[in-house]
Amino acid sequence: MRKIAFLAALVTCGLVHAQSPTGVPAAIVASVNSFLNSLDEGQRTRVLFDFNDAAQRVRWSNLPTAMVARAGLKMGELSETQRSAAMGLLAVTLSKSGYEKVLAIMEGDEMLKAEDGGRGGPPGPGGRGGRGGAPNSEMFGHDLYYISILGKPSVKDPWMLQFGGHHLALNITMVGRQGILTPSLTAAQPAKYTVAGKTVRPLGAENDKAFALVNALDDSQRKQAILNYKVADLVLGPGEDGKTIQPEGLKGSAMNARQQAMMMDLIGEWAGIVNEQSATGRMAEIKSNLADTWLAWSGPTTNGSAAYYRTQGPTLVIEYAPQSMGGDPTMHIHTIYRDPTNDYGKKSAAR
Amino acid sequence: MKLVAVSLLLAISLAGGADGHRLDEYLQATLIGVTRDGVDLEINLTPGIAVLPAVMAEIDRNRDGRISPEEEQAYSTEVIRDLGMQVDGKVVPLRLIGSRFPSVEDMREGLGTIRLNLRTGSSGHELRFENRHMQKVSVYLVNCLASGDSGLLAGNPVRDEAQRSIRFTYSYAGSSGWPAQETFWIAGIGMVTIARLALRRQTGRG
Repeated sequence: MRKIAFLAALVTCGLVHAQSPTGVPAAIVASVNSFLNSLDEGQRTRVLFDFNDAAQRVRWSNLPTAMVARAGLKMGELSETQRSAAMGLLAVTLSKSGYEKVLAIMEGDEMLKAEDGGRGGPPGPGGRGGRGGAPNSEMFGHDLYYISILGKPSVKDPWMLQFGGHHLALNITMVGRQGILTPSLTAAQPAKYTVAGKTVRPLGAENDKAFALVNALDDSQRKQAILNYKVADLVLGPGEDGKTIQPEGLKGSAMNARQQAMMMDLIGEWAGIVNEQSATGRMAEIKSNLADTWLAWSGPTTNGSAAYYRTQGPTLVIEYAPQSMGGDPTMHIHTIYRDPTNDYGKKSAAR
Repeated sequence: MKLVAVSLLLAISLAGGADGHRLDEYLQATLIGVTRDGVDLEINLTPGIAVLPAVMAEIDRNRDGRISPEEEQAYSTEVIRDLGMQVDGKVVPLRLIGSRFPSVEDMREGLGTIRLNLRTGSSGHELRFENRHMQKVSVYLVNCLASGDSGLLAGNPVRDEAQRSIRFTYSYAGSSGWPAQETFWIAGIGMVTIARLALRRQTGRG
């Protein structure tokens, strides 16, 4: 039943994205209003926040919601109609591939939930059950993703849609026609699984395109791109808003046209999560800074190995970090996507 | 004691890292912020659940299962003692500006991060930093912050493979980074040249 729902969501996603790109902001506002109208008064109060609510803005994490509490409305407490409206809103706000990625991340979390067969996790501190010995059903799964809206949805004034839970944090600030997706976190565990006979790799393209790029470099370029030290985790992950580190590695200006195109294609895996209209503007901005965009790599260069990488430019930080947390690091990936000049749409909203 | 060890092993084997807990590593992430009048360090220390007993043994000196303000201060001092920083080849002292300790409960979940803010008033053109704190159980990150407005130009970072140490040079856009004495001589030579040119022009007109 769950598998059918997952596949049905993918089909719905295709239908939603058949609309004209010119009507995207209006369609998003119509969709969010339709979702809000499906809620009762109490639910509406809980899902809506002030646009400048600084605490809610940063209430996101890679960790399960049982460990780091989120606010807003939880998918599991919505009726089927309300949930469908929430997912419809997400589908129209994101690109087709972005929405599929989100569904695949959530489906991976459902796999974690199923891992103990519904028996419930071990009790006590430190166990998988987490705080208070919560069973897997309280730690993982589709039901534990939250939606919240900051500000009044409008095609003119800035507002924000947040959606996330374990291994996912989408912070989408809408400013007119622009949808700003930074900062956002995508992650995957398991990074590869099978649903209805189909292999799903939520962040497979992020992995494969990066390995293709690093292997397209010549020896001298690779010497610059590959760092001589290990990187154990994200440097600018959750809680590190407003910080920028010194770039390292190989500069875009030292790449040939083919390599630059490969790097843009890789960056598009994050920048292209948001709807095509917003992604086009964002990709153009990143491309204009490509000469000053760096690639840093730590780890082996054979696809299938665990390697960390970072692309960083004047308006961009992307990190991809396999996690060594007791299992196969290639099966547990965390990534972060930031724009140090425009996280939470601060620059765009101020204009 | 045996019970604790068995519980930890059980916890690690059952958890398998699925929920993002840090397990058998003590992550020590340092961000270095260089300014014209000093250097700020932000150190985030996150113990995994398997190494927590070792970390708590350093923090909870009286073994009462709680972290008192005095124990926080003592542990911060111990961390600072395990750090080494040099500016332009000179060892500089690091001062504790602030600290934030998580609850023991959060640390037992592998979620707690100890945050230390340190500072030195020394600034120059080359910085070396080394973290030797609890090396056997730790993994390290160390990075230099870019400060957009100040025009900081940091270059040539060199780290060891484990990121326990970093060394880099830095200067500011608009400042040559040359010592004041050299700047004085260059200014002096410039003035003499201008004066000679002016004299020649005057002579030519006459």
